[in-house]
Amino acid sequence: MLEYFRQFINRHIALTDDEFHLLASKLRVVHFDKKTKLVDIGDVATTIYFVFKGISRRYFYRGKQEVITHLIKEGGMMGSVISFITGEPSRYILETIEPVTAYALSKNDLEELFLSDKKWEKFGRKIITAFFLQTERQILDNIRYTTKERFVNFMKQNPDLVMRVPQKYLASYLEIQPETFSRLKHLMVKEK
Amino acid sequence: MNNSFADLDPIYLDYAQKYLGRFMPITREELIELLQYCEIRRFDKRTIIVHEGEIDNYLNLVVKGLIRKYLPVRKNEVILQLATEGHVVQSEISYLTKTPSMVVLETLEPTILLSLTYDKMEEALDRFPKGERLGRMILYGMYVKKDQNRYNRLSKSTRQRFFDYIDNHQHMLQRVPQKYLASYLQIKPETFSRLKALLPKRQK
Repeated sequence: MLEYFRQFINRHIALTDDEFHLLASKLRVVHFDKKTKLVDIGDVATTIYFVFKGISRRYFYRGKQEVITHLIKEGGMMGSVISFITGEPSRYILETIEPVTAYALSKNDLEELFLSDKKWEKFGRKIITAFFLQTERQILDNIRYTTKERFVNFMKQNPDLVMRVPQKYLASYLEIQPETFSRLKHLMVKEK
Repeated sequence: MNNSFADLDPIYLDYAQKYLGRFMPITREELIELLQYCEIRRFDKRTIIVHEGEIDNYLNLVVKGLIRKYLPVRKNEVILQLATEGHVVQSEISYLTKTPSMVVLETLEPTILLSLTYDKMEEALDRFPKGERLGRMILYGMYVKKDQNRYNRLSKSTRQRFFDYIDNHQHMLQRVPQKYLASYLQIKPETFSRLKALLPKRQK
């Protein structure tokens, strides 16, 4: 699990063995049942997670409707990041869909790292850059692709999620009406 | 490239100081030191400064003028940002990952930018005391803004988006063609006109 985490971190920044072990010493392994709320609206988020197993979703409410902005699976990072970095109450709910195993990193520990050496400031910048890029790509994709293209791209890139995540969540995440989602799914089965 | 800051209007430096001051207190001397890594770039109106498919090598602070950032979509353009004085604008994914830009940046007015290349940014953050902290805070700020925009787009009604924006950006009605504002707010041009007609009533 630690080795997997190292590969994950290496995608963002190169750490020496000592640096990596210092970071690893701050991590806590956590397990959650399915449908557990890790952050609720109004909570101040103090933890970010690196996910090893299981799927979660991040969403907010537009009236009574859930709007899903993130689906996070193995190898992903998650948190109510805005609340985590600003210390303001979360507008989002972070909730597991399946049982989840993750490494948890607390804000206090991260802040201590930041103060200990500027190298960790850079680490923090690279991690937030990864969150930023993910959001920006998603925003651009939802604009530049048609509904059908978004559906097909997602199916190709995330066949596992299609099996594991309820259809209404996928539709919300892709900004597709549930009825349209069903229709596209039927079409896709026929085309095969 | 004119890299002298001596003949620069002090108000331009104020924009830079105000922008960085959001992240940490910064003195004029520190600002001048940081600006040594920057370039001053001047463009006529209606100049494309980043084309689709080009790698955007600059982080830009607008100190004068106006830039629109848009995503070409089939035969249309969707405006993602209208950046005026004090705003930071760039093709973020392209800059951060050195990949071809999906978006286009075009000036709408004669524009002056304080611009920083990726390599110079890394150099400045490395050398400047507390530079890495500043770099992290800037990225934090960019992420917060990005998330806020997206949240607004997904959570607010058309009407709400229109009035919230116009209330905070009155001057943009004069500076930007209406169709651009409509595109930016993701409102149909006809709906935009209808909402605009409601403005005098609403303000009484």
